[in-house]
Amino acid sequence: MQKENAIEIHNLTKIFKAKTNSERRFPLFRKTVPIKAIDNLNLTIKKGELFGLLGPNGAGKTTLVKMLCTLLPPDEGTATINGFDIIKEQMNVKRSIGTLFSVGERGFFWRLSGYRNLEFFAAIYNVPRQRRYQRIMEVLKLVGLEGSAFDLFQKYSGGMKRKLSLARTLLPDPPILLLDEPTAGLDVLSSRNIREFVRETVRESGKTVLYTTHYIEEAAQICDTIGILRNGQLIARDTPDAIRSMIKERELIYIVVEEITQAQLEKIRSLESIVNVTENNQDAIGNQKGFCLELKSIDQVPSIFDFLFREKIKLVNFSREEPTLEDAFIELTKRA
Amino acid sequence: MNEEIEKIYYFMKRDIISFSTYKTNIAILVLTALFGALSFAYLGSNAEMQSVLQLYNMDLATYLIIGLAFSTYLNQSLTLIQRTINPWALEEVLVSPTRLTTFIVGSSLWGFIWSTMVVVIYLAIGVFIFGISLSVNVLGTLIVLALGIGTFIGFSMIGAGILILTKQGDPVTALITIATGLFGNVLFPPQVMPPLLQAISYLVPQYYFFTTIRLMLTGWSIQMILPELLTLALMCAIIVPLGYAVYYWCLKTARKNGTLSWF
Repeated sequence: MQKENAIEIHNLTKIFKAKTNSERRFPLFRKTVPIKAIDNLNLTIKKGELFGLLGPNGAGKTTLVKMLCTLLPPDEGTATINGFDIIKEQMNVKRSIGTLFSVGERGFFWRLSGYRNLEFFAAIYNVPRQRRYQRIMEVLKLVGLEGSAFDLFQKYSGGMKRKLSLARTLLPDPPILLLDEPTAGLDVLSSRNIREFVRETVRESGKTVLYTTHYIEEAAQICDTIGILRNGQLIARDTPDAIRSMIKERELIYIVVEEITQAQLEKIRSLESIVNVTENNQDAIGNQKGFCLELKSIDQVPSIFDFLFREKIKLVNFSREEPTLEDAFIELTKRA
Repeated sequence: MNEEIEKIYYFMKRDIISFSTYKTNIAILVLTALFGALSFAYLGSNAEMQSVLQLYNMDLATYLIIGLAFSTYLNQSLTLIQRTINPWALEEVLVSPTRLTTFIVGSSLWGFIWSTMVVVIYLAIGVFIFGISLSVNVLGTLIVLALGIGTFIGFSMIGAGILILTKQGDPVTALITIATGLFGNVLFPPQVMPPLLQAISYLVPQYYFFTTIRLMLTGWSIQMILPELLTLALMCAIIVPLGYAVYYWCLKTARKNGTLSWF
């Protein structure tokens, strides 16, 4: 029976020894302290899933990717990639993945063309010789570099270099992609190209993707599921919408009305469903008045409308504020 | 197995194409070899060292040219593997399904081929300009070269391994370079030194390599150098696995500590 999960992580832990930052001591004599970069992490990613791993700098995203691609041995726990153990079956793991590091372009030879660089990687990734040329041109076309295939790598722009790294990752056509901050340091246009590529082309191919980033909305655009990593621990894992709703303890609605008296306003304040009312005249024009109403639940909105109707208060505008994923990210990482 | 051999070819192809773009560097390397050979051969052709004549039955120019040619070879070889441990390139290769031995052989092979070409330049200058006479024992030369290359790769792996951990500063390569100059029988035979220093010479593989390669290029038979050749073979048999073990251990330690790409 084929396994459902492409990536399974069980109690994975990685501890680094780091020197303390004491400025009073000469670097050679600074004490070392153990730091848990990944702390007893459990995670499963289904086949074909686009999983976004979010976390602030130092959360452990790159450490996790390096452990999954067998570069870093874990101190405790284990993981399987495509059913292969990352400790005991490293060669099979390497055959199942394509890894893109955030500084991956430094592994290219600057005096070789994009094509010649990929030819070398095609050989070491066991792409069959008779298919090599065709495959290289295919992936170059996929990332939009077919016109620059024979230009020297040193002439490529930053975006083109990252695209070539992506092409190298796709070269052996692996079922699982580990993309570590693929848009870090790129301009807006290049970032968008890479996002669109992952969202459309990679999704169509049915590959499983672990996509690390600290750009929250980027993860929401691309990924089916998001995990938030903080101090090496997974503190949340769900769809982008569900992550947003995790921090929604109060509903905020904005209303703009015409000609409301102080007495009517006090009546609104005294309604059972209302937690708080604050004036917010941002969208109000002329005689209009704007308010931000904090409700216990969205279900209580009809009672507000009933009250306005009974009091013959004319409603001009109504809107509901959704917390952004950024709000959720900040709130959840603060709570952890 | 075929896949691994093909990978070695592609490592070499990559290095040749990349190397051929550094035209100034190639010109400087060739000119250095030319002028080095010219100056030492000139010195040798105008001087005599009795111990050389007695021990090796060759003139000083021949002695110096061969010593110089192969010392360049050794110096190049010592740093070959170190030059391949560009941390990012190393990570990219280590995540691919490529064996460590394929990586080591593949990324150092072109360096050896180029060094061999430089040796040929040295010897050609000796032969065509200074008239030194060579009578090459092909089989013996190949055996000595194979043992020498093995030994130097072993040293290079130890040095590269230590460099992976220390990031800067590799005492092994520095020590070997000093030992080669002093005790390696490169530019003077150890027999001209005091007995204590002579004794040290017999402990370093470079001495056996330079002694046997000279004799194999000047018409001696394998039987005549058998003790030195066996000693070199024994040292090679110890240094190669030791070098691999050190390199493997250092790489494993750097991976465990997460410091592979810290340079």
